[in-house]
Amino acid sequence: MSLLEALLVGFSEARRHLGQTLLSLLGLILGTGSIVTVLALFGGQTKQTQEFLQEVGGAGTVIVRDREQSERPTARELASDRLTYRDAEYLKDHATTLTAVAPGWASRMEYQTPKTHFNGQIIGTTPDYAVINDIRPMAGRYLSDLDVRRQARVMVLGWRFADSLFTAPEAALGQIVQLGGRAFVVVGVMEREEFYFAAWAGNSLAYRNQRAYIPITTAFSQYTGEDQGLSFLTLKAANPMGGRLATEQVTAMLRLRHGVEDFDVTPSGVGSSDDAQFFMLFNFIFLVVGIVSLIAGGVVIANILLASVVERVREFGTRMALGATGFQIFAQVLVQVAIIAVVGGLAGLGLGSALTGTVAFFMKMPAAVTPEIATLAIVTSLSVGVIAGLYPAYRAARLAPVEALRYG
Amino acid sequence: MALIDAAALTKVYQLGQVEVPALRGVDVQVEEGEYVAITGPSGSGKSTLMHILGCLDSATSGTYRLAGEDVSGLSRRALARVRNHKVGFVFQTFNLMPRMTIDENVALPLQYRGGLSRRARLRRARALLERLGLDQRIGHRPDELSGGERQRVAVARALVGEPAMLLVDEPTGNLDSEAGAEVLRTFREVHEAGNTIVMVTHDMQVAGQAQRAIRIADGKVAA
Repeated sequence: MSLLEALLVGFSEARRHLGQTLLSLLGLILGTGSIVTVLALFGGQTKQTQEFLQEVGGAGTVIVRDREQSERPTARELASDRLTYRDAEYLKDHATTLTAVAPGWASRMEYQTPKTHFNGQIIGTTPDYAVINDIRPMAGRYLSDLDVRRQARVMVLGWRFADSLFTAPEAALGQIVQLGGRAFVVVGVMEREEFYFAAWAGNSLAYRNQRAYIPITTAFSQYTGEDQGLSFLTLKAANPMGGRLATEQVTAMLRLRHGVEDFDVTPSGVGSSDDAQFFMLFNFIFLVVGIVSLIAGGVVIANILLASVVERVREFGTRMALGATGFQIFAQVLVQVAIIAVVGGLAGLGLGSALTGTVAFFMKMPAAVTPEIATLAIVTSLSVGVIAGLYPAYRAARLAPVEALRYG
Repeated sequence: MALIDAAALTKVYQLGQVEVPALRGVDVQVEEGEYVAITGPSGSGKSTLMHILGCLDSATSGTYRLAGEDVSGLSRRALARVRNHKVGFVFQTFNLMPRMTIDENVALPLQYRGGLSRRARLRRARALLERLGLDQRIGHRPDELSGGERQRVAVARALVGEPAMLLVDEPTGNLDSEAGAEVLRTFREVHEAGNTIVMVTHDMQVAGQAQRAIRIADGKVAA
């Protein structure tokens, strides 16, 4: 009996035992359905996360921060000036792997106009910051090299602050705002930045709309004096794929300047968004649920098949009397379960697609059942079925013909 | 040489610690074309003998040659092949596959043999059903047939592979007397067409249909 023959027989058997077949399917349909749903959502989320990372800097963006001082710092550690503006200038002049260097100084201060006042973040930085983060002003201009050189008291407002201080972004241009008691002229207002992981989730980039940018040199001269320490140093590799090379060069250069590795160099986006992490966790839980239901489905199939083998002992005995070998009986049972499993996989795929569509629609999340996911679903279902069928098939094949004929 | 040539067959069943002898040295010879009944009371060992002659089971000792082939000590797989090619079983309870049509049932042994297309197998099955007067029933399921008709389907299934012998177990046990007579008539016709039949029964009237009877008692051939 050829494989094709076995397939045909198995198929007609599955059709003949339709009730039993459908019962076996239930576990597989649910299991495959949830796996498909999870993978589709997962795929959508992964794409979202990648887009988010692109949004906050993209490939090749590297961030350097001071490492927390160890509990018992060494002399070298104590002697280091930590990350300074001079480090940034040095890298800008000497690091061949970099295309942009943006030193950053961050603080919270009181914003004050004749009408209102509140606390908010300010970032002291250079024009490169807008290049690296791919952000643009919607009115006026961003910081310029001249601003930095002249320690100009100019500021660029985030969209939200411009909106709440002056009602319209254009109206903000030329206005005076006090930052921590020092007066600055608004020369630009940034575009509104937004990113949503799901329609019901908040704007993951909202924080960027609630800040103001000033020249870093101004920040030092107005607020810190001698101390030119940086809060962060954002770098862009010359080659988008060259992040690792850039990381190595920057690490080497800074270690030489500091005499000790008291800083951390990380690619942008690593742990950068709690939202992304939350969605990953969410998907992981769903995936576990799906795998558990598949295993449960497999156990159900194995049980039902075992029961059906017992129920059909005389049938197998008769088939053996007619000349079926143990292998042919084994193949018959296995092919039957394989067909059940594929049908179950297809039904599960349908269920999963419907579920994905529903979830995507109501939660406004991007999700799609790709051909890869569909294939994986069928293959998974088939594997679960065949594995579950091995033992019952073996039991049927090992029956002694005489006892099988006498059974029942 | 005899078609069935069994010498000094014994069969011992191991029931836990106890050895139960079912056959204690049986010699059986059946010539080609013979119609032989094996009789005996229940528990005599005649079913055990039938299982061995049908290659469903192996003897504990002794030799058994079926159509010139020594089948004692063959593997499970080899025995399956011998059953498929040389033995046609007819059971007391018919043992038809309830969800298959009768032509599919009859074609089943050919499917396990391989080599013929499904179409060719079904054509042969239908020809045989026609020969046995069941042409009106082709395409029906077994439960749509009378008991006598079902047993004649089983006979067709036993014959389809052109075996060396038909091995028949209480063929009328589940039939009323009229249907039983009809089935026995079928066996007579099949025998007259040149087939060898070995029929196991405890019904002396049924055994009377055969050319000769071998009586088994207490695991031996009774004189």
